[in-house]
Amino acid sequence: MEFAATIVILTCTYALLAAGTVILYKAGRVVNFAHGELAIVGGYVFYSAGLMSGGTSLWFPVAGAVVFSIIMGMFIYMAMMRRLVGEPFYVAILVTVGIGIVLKSAILVIWRAERLTIDVGVTPAIRMAGGATLSYMDIASVVLTVAFFAGLYLFFRFTRLGVQFRGTAENALLASQRGVDVNFVLSLAWVIAILAASLSGVLYGGRAFLSTESVTIGLAGLTAALVGGLDSLRGAVAGAFIVACAQYLTVRLVDPVLSEAVPFLLLVIVMSIRPWGLFGTQEELDRV
Amino acid sequence: MSRTGYNLRTNYLESNEVIRRPYQKVLVAMVLAVAVLLPAATSTFFVHLLNLCFLSAIGALGLMLLTGFCGQISLGHAAFLAVGAFTTVILTVHVGAPFVVVIPAAAVTGAVLGFIIGLPSLRFRGVYLAIITLAMHYTVIFLATSYQANFAKSASAGITIPDPSIGPLVIKGEYTWYYFSLVLLTLVTIWCVNLIRTRPGRAWMAIRDRDIAAEALGINLTRYKLMAFMVSSTLASVSGSLLAYYSNVVTVETYTIDLAVIYVAMIIVGGMGSILGALMGAIFMTLLPFGIDGLFSYLPREWRYGSTVFGVQVGAVGICIILFLLIEPKGLAEIWRRIETYFDRWPFRYRPLDTTRH
Repeated sequence: MEFAATIVILTCTYALLAAGTVILYKAGRVVNFAHGELAIVGGYVFYSAGLMSGGTSLWFPVAGAVVFSIIMGMFIYMAMMRRLVGEPFYVAILVTVGIGIVLKSAILVIWRAERLTIDVGVTPAIRMAGGATLSYMDIASVVLTVAFFAGLYLFFRFTRLGVQFRGTAENALLASQRGVDVNFVLSLAWVIAILAASLSGVLYGGRAFLSTESVTIGLAGLTAALVGGLDSLRGAVAGAFIVACAQYLTVRLVDPVLSEAVPFLLLVIVMSIRPWGLFGTQEELDRV
Repeated sequence: MSRTGYNLRTNYLESNEVIRRPYQKVLVAMVLAVAVLLPAATSTFFVHLLNLCFLSAIGALGLMLLTGFCGQISLGHAAFLAVGAFTTVILTVHVGAPFVVVIPAAAVTGAVLGFIIGLPSLRFRGVYLAIITLAMHYTVIFLATSYQANFAKSASAGITIPDPSIGPLVIKGEYTWYYFSLVLLTLVTIWCVNLIRTRPGRAWMAIRDRDIAAEALGINLTRYKLMAFMVSSTLASVSGSLLAYYSNVVTVETYTIDLAVIYVAMIIVGGMGSILGALMGAIFMTLLPFGIDGLFSYLPREWRYGSTVFGVQVGAVGICIILFLLIEPKGLAEIWRRIETYFDRWPFRYRPLDTTRH
């Protein structure tokens, strides 16, 4: 029972990250290499906002993380990504790499690289058969992840903005000619992606800890997105589940030291067998 | 003496020239003369900094050939440096091999790894290739970490290696290293310049600009892409080996993903597709952390918290990458070209023809 709970919670963390990566890839054909950093900094912002409010209310840190996501998302798109249209492909990638390293330095400068654990009801809440316990944090992470994906589905399926969003992902030029505010849609994509990442960072910080090393969850999220297919939201969940399983089983059965390397081994395997991922479209692949 | 187009080459003989203008020959000679005489005029610490610049410039040249000329993006350059460094460790500590054996061995190991990493580049390009090189980085670093952990319990601080010696000559001390690395860097630079103006370089540039068109022109993509990866990783591996010898200690903590990003920053800041850019970028990015350190010494003591200085040093790399990509995508080499053109044209203000100097 315990392993099932652990895998489900890890899956939630990775699925949120992978969903952000997929949204960004679909919207602007950008792979964000700063996703792990954004997640962890989101977690730090959540923690600090909680400290500032005195730790009484949960609304303040949540608002802090949301404001962080909106500001970061708008800023990254408006100040950087928007100017890179038409540049060689590597420019956008390297800009996200640069953003990642700046955020990492922000952790060092602002939070002095402190190892933090976000403490929001981590006490065991429910004891299940087989000795497994679930904390409120665990339950919250599952509920929030499911709510996020459900909300995303409803948003893309039924709202006017969601349709505009899909249109932009399909063909930004045509969408803009039909009156879609492409800049707004794309900056919204960044905001949503960073919001998901921050949520994932908070969940990760509640279960484990936040530090400069924990930014590697971004790479696990990237692997999850690739395993599922870079342009498929369904794939993000499936990929996250596979990465979480692989990681958990390696830690338990083989060697805990390997857990960091698992996503990459998985990545190499997927890349050599089915590079477009489980649910991705084959044409997407920029093959030679 | 024509003043028509700065970069216009009108015949084959001209297109083979390494240095185009007489005054450029004077400039190169002056730079070399200054470089030779410099140690006499500066402090040991500055010579040490220049050594670091020269040795990392060899690695930066390697990455420039791969990314700047062949257009294959790599986030795994730190892994190649690590391969060179750990080859050095294995050969010197376990076998006791001399310097003249270790450097070629590091080159060969780098080339083999470059070949292996080059293989995916035949199937993928763009983002996917970047992700694969990232995965490669973590795999290599994982192997290196386990090697270091098994090496000795006390090896967490690093593995010490002896000073290198060529025959009776021991390369030891900043000044000996300075001339050694200066000669080496000059040779490597000449080699790189020759590579890019002959067949491989032209093939790489064709691949960078449009690989399908290049293939249609009869360029063997497999061969030249693998060659680019191998040349790049060889240079990086040699650079890693030399840096290991220079610092006398090898630890896996040096070879983080941040180091790979610093090398990418070198070629962006220097200017993609320019040998001069690789040299300028390597010097700029190597001196940057020391410059920031120097600036911090003017600040009040309370501000000089260890992780703050380190954080600003790390962040400056990212800021350099972003600002150069957004504002000056062709880097320092382009700034230099503008200065050169200004004086070349003076007193006229003709804009130079926009044929980017590749």
